[in-house]
Amino acid sequence: MHNLDYIYNVAGGLLALLTIIYLILNLLFKMDKIKQLQTTTEKLKKSLEEMDEQAKLIVRTDIELNKTQEELDKKMSGLYALQRLSREISTTLEESQVFKMVSASHLQDLGFEKACGFLWGDHERRFFLHLNVGYMADEIEAIKSSVNLDKDLYLNLIQNEGSLSSISASSEAKIKNKINEIFSVKSFVISPILPKEGNKGFLFVGTENVEAALTEGDEELITILSNQIGQALENARLFEKTWRAQQELEKKVEERTHELTLALEEVKKISKRKTDFISSVSHELRTPLTSIKGYAAILIEEKLGAIPPAVKERLQKVNNHSNELVNMVNDLLDIARIESGKATMKMENQDLKNIIASVADLIMIQCKNKNIDLVLDIQNDIPCVLADRSHIERVFINLLGNAVKFTPQNGKITIKAYKKDKAVQIDISDTGIGMPPEALNMIFDEFYRIDNPINQQVKGTGLGLSLVKHIVEAHKGKIWVESNVGKGSTFSFTLPAN
Amino acid sequence: MSISVGVGLSTEKDPILAAKEAVRMANLNIHNKRADLAICFSSVDLASSILIKTINISLGEHIPIIGCSGAAIICNQDICKHGVVVMLLNLPEGVHFNTACTKELAAKSSQGAGEELGQKLLYGFKGVRRDLSIMFCDGLIQEGSNLIHGLQEKLGRSFPLVGGSASDNLKFQKTYLYFNQEIFSDGACAILFGGKLNFGLGVKHGWKPLGKPRYVTKCSGNIVRAIDNTPAAQVYEEYFACNLTELRKKLKYISVLYPIGIYLPGEEEYLLRNLISIENDGSLVFQGNVPENSLIRLMIGTKESCLTATRQATDEAKKSGANNFVLVFDSISRYILLRREANRELKIIKEGVGKDTPVIGLYTYGEQAPLEAISYHGQTYFHNQTIVILTVGA
Repeated sequence: MHNLDYIYNVAGGLLALLTIIYLILNLLFKMDKIKQLQTTTEKLKKSLEEMDEQAKLIVRTDIELNKTQEELDKKMSGLYALQRLSREISTTLEESQVFKMVSASHLQDLGFEKACGFLWGDHERRFFLHLNVGYMADEIEAIKSSVNLDKDLYLNLIQNEGSLSSISASSEAKIKNKINEIFSVKSFVISPILPKEGNKGFLFVGTENVEAALTEGDEELITILSNQIGQALENARLFEKTWRAQQELEKKVEERTHELTLALEEVKKISKRKTDFISSVSHELRTPLTSIKGYAAILIEEKLGAIPPAVKERLQKVNNHSNELVNMVNDLLDIARIESGKATMKMENQDLKNIIASVADLIMIQCKNKNIDLVLDIQNDIPCVLADRSHIERVFINLLGNAVKFTPQNGKITIKAYKKDKAVQIDISDTGIGMPPEALNMIFDEFYRIDNPINQQVKGTGLGLSLVKHIVEAHKGKIWVESNVGKGSTFSFTLPAN
Repeated sequence: MSISVGVGLSTEKDPILAAKEAVRMANLNIHNKRADLAICFSSVDLASSILIKTINISLGEHIPIIGCSGAAIICNQDICKHGVVVMLLNLPEGVHFNTACTKELAAKSSQGAGEELGQKLLYGFKGVRRDLSIMFCDGLIQEGSNLIHGLQEKLGRSFPLVGGSASDNLKFQKTYLYFNQEIFSDGACAILFGGKLNFGLGVKHGWKPLGKPRYVTKCSGNIVRAIDNTPAAQVYEEYFACNLTELRKKLKYISVLYPIGIYLPGEEEYLLRNLISIENDGSLVFQGNVPENSLIRLMIGTKESCLTATRQATDEAKKSGANNFVLVFDSISRYILLRREANRELKIIKEGVGKDTPVIGLYTYGEQAPLEAISYHGQTYFHNQTIVILTVGA
C-alpha cells in the first residue's frame, strides 16, 4: 500500500514535471510567435509609413500636375479667345467699332476682368478713353484723370513700343503699385497700340484676382491683342481714307459728267441750229438756182433770140457753175438731213457684190481714161448687209471718184470686201498721191480740202467725204483712212452684216 | 400618367431677354400644357432680382418657382458657364407637392432653420404619402449638415432628401437661391413631393483613399481639431510639404482636389469633406460635419475615376425606371478636375438616361443625398466632390 503510494507520488511528480516542461516549452514557442508577430507588425507599420511617404509624393506631384493643367487650360482658352477676338477685330472697318469688339467674356477667357483702351489726341495733348470693361462710371472718370496726370509714363511706353506688366515692372515696385492703385487691380498688362496711321495709344488689362498669377505668356497674348487692335485701327483708318477719296472722286466725276452733259446739250443745240440753218439756206438757195439755171438754159438755147458766141460761152459757164452749186446744195441738204435724223434710210438686205459690180461699171470709164487698173477682191461667201442701196452707192461713188481723181495714170485701185467679226469691211485702196498725216484727222470735216496740186486744179465742195462719213455712221458703221504721201491711200469702212 | 416636362435654355447676356427666352422655350417644349412647378438654375452672373421677376411674370405669377445659382448650369444641350435653364413640370393627378423656404440663417441656428423648413413643407401634407424632398441651400453656409439634421427632425430621419448647395464662379463670395419671385442668400428652399411619385438615385464621387488611415481624435461639428492626437492641419502640412501660410495659399486646389474621406462601414465609397479654411491653432474647418473618432484618409481623384463614378451613379439612378426627368447636382470639384472634359460627364449621363430624357442640373458647393448601406437606414448626409443623379417619374 505504502509502495503503491510511493509509485503514485513518483508518477504524480513525473507528470507534474512533464507538465511544467510542456508549459515551459509552450511558453517559449508562444514567445517566439509573439516575437514573429511583433516583427510582422513592425514590417507592416514600416510599409504603411513607406506607403504614406509615397502618398505624399503622389499628392505633391498631383497638385503640381493640376496646377500645370490649369495654366495650360487658361492658356488654351486665352488662345481661343484671342483667335476669336482677332477674327472679329480684323473684319471691323469702322474705327469706332474696333474697341467695342473687346467684350467682358473675351477678357474673362483671357484671364482678366478689367480693361481700358486709350488713344492719344495730338491736338488736345491728352489721352481719350475708347474702351471700358469692368469699371463703373465714377471709377473710369478717376482713371481717365489719373492717366492724363501721368501721361508721360504711357507716352514713354508708346514711344519705346514696349509693354509693361506686373512681371516686367517687378523691379520698379513704385510704378507697379501706382498702376495697381489707379486701375484697382492686383496684376496687369499694359501694351501700346501702334497703328502706322493716325493716333497711337495703349491697352490696359488687369485682374483683381490675387490667385490668378500672371505669366509671361499672358503678357505675350495681350501684346498680340494690342497689335491686332493697332492693325485694325490702321485698316479702318485707311479704309476711311480710301472711302472718303472715292466719295470725293465720285462727286467730282458726277460734277464733270453734269458739266459735260450740259456742254453736250449745248453742242447738240448749236449743231442742230447749224443743220437747220444749212438746211433752210440750202432750200432757199435751190429756188433762185433753179431760176438761174432755167434762164441760162433759155438764153443758151437762143429761145429769146440769137446771142453772140462770146455771150453763149459765158452763159455756158453760168450754167456749169450753177450745176456745181446745185450739187453742193444737194450734198449739204443730205448731210443736214442725216445729221438731224430726218433722212429716210430704206434699210434692206443688200448684196455687196452686186452693188460693187454696178459701181465698178460706172467708174470703169474714168479708170480706162487714166489707164487705171481697177481690181475687185471680194470674199466669196460675203454676207449681206442691211443698208440703203442708194446711199451706199453714193459712198462707193464718192470714195472711188476720189481714188480716180488722185491716182495718176497707170495706177491701181483695189476694192476689197470681207467679213470681219460681225461686220463687213470694205477697203478702197489706191496708188495715188496720198495724204500727209496731219490731214488724216480732218478730211472727213465739212468743207475741208487738202492743199495739193490736184485739188488746186480740180474743183470740189469739200463735202463728199463728210457726206460719206455721215452715211456710214447712219448705218452704224465706221470709216477711217490710212495713207502715205506718194504711195496712196486706203479708205476703209464697215457695215453691219445681217 | 407621367409627368410632362418642358425645358428652356437661354444664353442671352441680358437677364430679361434670357428669362423670357428660357420661359418661351420651356413652354414650347411642354407643348403649352399647364405648368404646376418650375425649377430654375442660372449661372451666377445672371443671378439677379430682374431675372427671377421676369421668369415669374412670364410664367404667370401663380406658378411656384424654385432653384439656385451655379458656377455653370447643365442641360441636355450643353454645360453653360453663362445661361439660365427653366424646367416646367406638369404633374399628373395623385402627385402632390409643396414648396417652402427659410431665410437669414445667420440669425438662427442651422438646425432650427432646417426644422422651420421641414415644418413649412409639411403644411397641407396630412394624410398624403411623402416620397421625396429636393432642397437647395446657400453654398457658403458652414453648417450644412445641421440644416439637414433639422429638416430630418421634421420629415423623418430616413426620409429621402436630395439636394445641392448653390455656387458662384469659384470666388466663394455670394450664392443665390430662387423662390417664387424672390432671390436671396443665406437661406434654403425645398420641394416636398408626395403621392404616386417614383424616383431613382445615384450618388458617387470616384475619389480614392491615399496614404495611411488616421483617426479624428478631437472634433466639434465641422471643425476637426486633432488627428491622431496632433493638430489637424499637420496632416495637410506633411502631405503638401508646406507650412500653414503656404497651405492657405494652396487652399483653392486642396479644397476641391484633396478632401478627406470618412470611412463608413458598409459603404462602397468614403464620405468626402472639403476643407474650407484653416484656423490659426491648426484646426481644419470642413464643409459638413465630421464625427469624432472616425477613421479618415486623404483622398485623391482622377478624371477617369471621376467619370467611372458618373457612369456608376447613372446606372444606379436609372434602376428605378423613373425617367420623366433628371436632376443633376454635380460638385464644382468635378468641374475643376475634369475641366474641358466636363462635357464627357454630361455625355455619359445622357447616354445612360436616354438622350430624349430632359436633364437639368448645376455645379454645386455641396450635395445632399442618402447613404446606400442598410446600416444608415437611407439617412441623408452632406456630401462633397459627389455627383447626385436623381431620376423622377410618376
